[in-house]
Amino acid sequence: MTSIAETASRLAGAASLNALLTPLPEVAASLTSQAERGTTGPLAGMPVVVKDNICTLEYTTSCGSRILEGYRSPFEATAITRLKAAGAWIAGKTNCDEFAMGSSTEHSAFGRTMHPLDPARVPGGSSGGSAALVAAGAVPAALGSETGGSVRQPASFCGVVGIKPTYGRVSRYGLVAFGSSLDQIGVCGRTVSDAARVLAAISGRDPMDATCEDRDPFQIPAPPENLQGFVIGIPREYFPPDLDPGVRRACERVIKTLKDLGAAVRDVSLPHTAYAIPTYYIIAPAEASSNLARYDGVRYGPRFNGAPDVRALYQSTRGKGFGPEVRRRILVGTYVLSAGYYDAYYRRAQRMRALIAQDFRNVFDRGVDLLFTPSTPTPAFKAGEKLDDPVSMYLADIFTVTANLAGIPGLTLPIGRVDGLPIGGQLLAPQFLEDEMLEAAFTLERAVPGSDEV
Amino acid sequence: MSVSREEVERIARLAELHLDEAALPALTEQMSRILDYVSQIAAVPGTETVQPFTPGPVAVRFRVDEVRPVPLALTPAQLAPAFRDGFFLVPRLGAFGAGAAGGDDTE
Repeated sequence: MTSIAETASRLAGAASLNALLTPLPEVAASLTSQAERGTTGPLAGMPVVVKDNICTLEYTTSCGSRILEGYRSPFEATAITRLKAAGAWIAGKTNCDEFAMGSSTEHSAFGRTMHPLDPARVPGGSSGGSAALVAAGAVPAALGSETGGSVRQPASFCGVVGIKPTYGRVSRYGLVAFGSSLDQIGVCGRTVSDAARVLAAISGRDPMDATCEDRDPFQIPAPPENLQGFVIGIPREYFPPDLDPGVRRACERVIKTLKDLGAAVRDVSLPHTAYAIPTYYIIAPAEASSNLARYDGVRYGPRFNGAPDVRALYQSTRGKGFGPEVRRRILVGTYVLSAGYYDAYYRRAQRMRALIAQDFRNVFDRGVDLLFTPSTPTPAFKAGEKLDDPVSMYLADIFTVTANLAGIPGLTLPIGRVDGLPIGGQLLAPQFLEDEMLEAAFTLERAVPGSDEV
Repeated sequence: MSVSREEVERIARLAELHLDEAALPALTEQMSRILDYVSQIAAVPGTETVQPFTPGPVAVRFRVDEVRPVPLALTPAQLAPAFRDGFFLVPRLGAFGAGAAGGDDTE
């Protein structure tokens, strides 16, 4: 249990990262009133920061966007209600790429978040503020959200644990929608245990979300002694010739450790992996263009006045309220759904998505329990490096996006550093087998020094 | 270029999105690159017979259709800039620049 003063002081110590969007005095005041309500439960007194696209009653929910600046939700997300019921303190909202669209947290309307180890670099994204605050030691855990890797990629860049649960494991009620068939709330944690405890608290059936599975809350497994009996697949498509040499070295060390721990390691193939990013960048913008139609200056957020008629009001509010990456994705999404292009793009992408999901089922049906891959193709890149080249930014998610398309769970944990920058290793599991994924993660966390140079 | 400037303008109208003249050339070029890149999935043979995949429960569970109070933190009257007799007061269309809701200029 951390004191309110200590939490506030730790958050203040990380202020230079621009990771927290809530002003510190507001966080301190809210923590005081939250503590007055009493804190008992499995997460008693654990401060948790929350990505700004998850609705909270305590703080505004802007999604890193001008179009929702100052927006206060009249209800809160199920995940937040459950965190509070478990005794956690909601310690403010974190910076993110606008509407979770980005891989660097540079696309926030409220300025970029710095990497905690090198301010010239990005923390990853879109949940960059959440990952950076955990990495800086300000909080033990944070909520983020994933549509294509937005928890695992920044967790990997910042050197913390990140979990994307199975689609349907955690209620999406109160998570501002981006790509509804892909979105899932995820967790960043200082350790596998911290992340797993938060996941356990927020998981389980919810009548408010029809896509949430009718299952009991997730149970944390006991950490096993070793990995005997585990069959771990190494998909060759995740180790391309141009993989960063440091990332490759760190992964090879983990593969050796997996064998030393008694796991059977198998070379496997997921043949449609190369099509995951193009598939994602059709489906996600298509869903986004529909979901973001609601921001029109009438129902939510600020309105840009002076328009002569209602269409001009919509157009000027949306044109001024959305940043460049969101505008690009709305346009791409509208294009691929428009008459004459729907079959060529959207329908084809949906079929490709089925083939990508089938790749995973084929491997898991043949006796492979888990997959191990790099979490990202490189360590954290420099700010500004990919801003003018959207496709190169999209490729930062190449190893994470497949799990979102297939709806399976994934976890990243730190597996070493190269030139001082953290490298993440990823475990992928069949749907709803987070417990096996966590057993392997607990064991690897003990056996692999996460902050050693490799 | 897989899209022209005119197509970008047409799509922007469909998306109700105002675009600055100055931003159009770069945006057209970026959209073309994105669409060229994602078009590579068209080269994969044999996808025509595949059933699309959606994650999540096989059948959507419906809630009981009953009227229940919505657990809002604030009442509609507290949320609205102006509220009278159970109705939200909004500015007349065409009067957006004229100022806030409420008063004689609302209906």
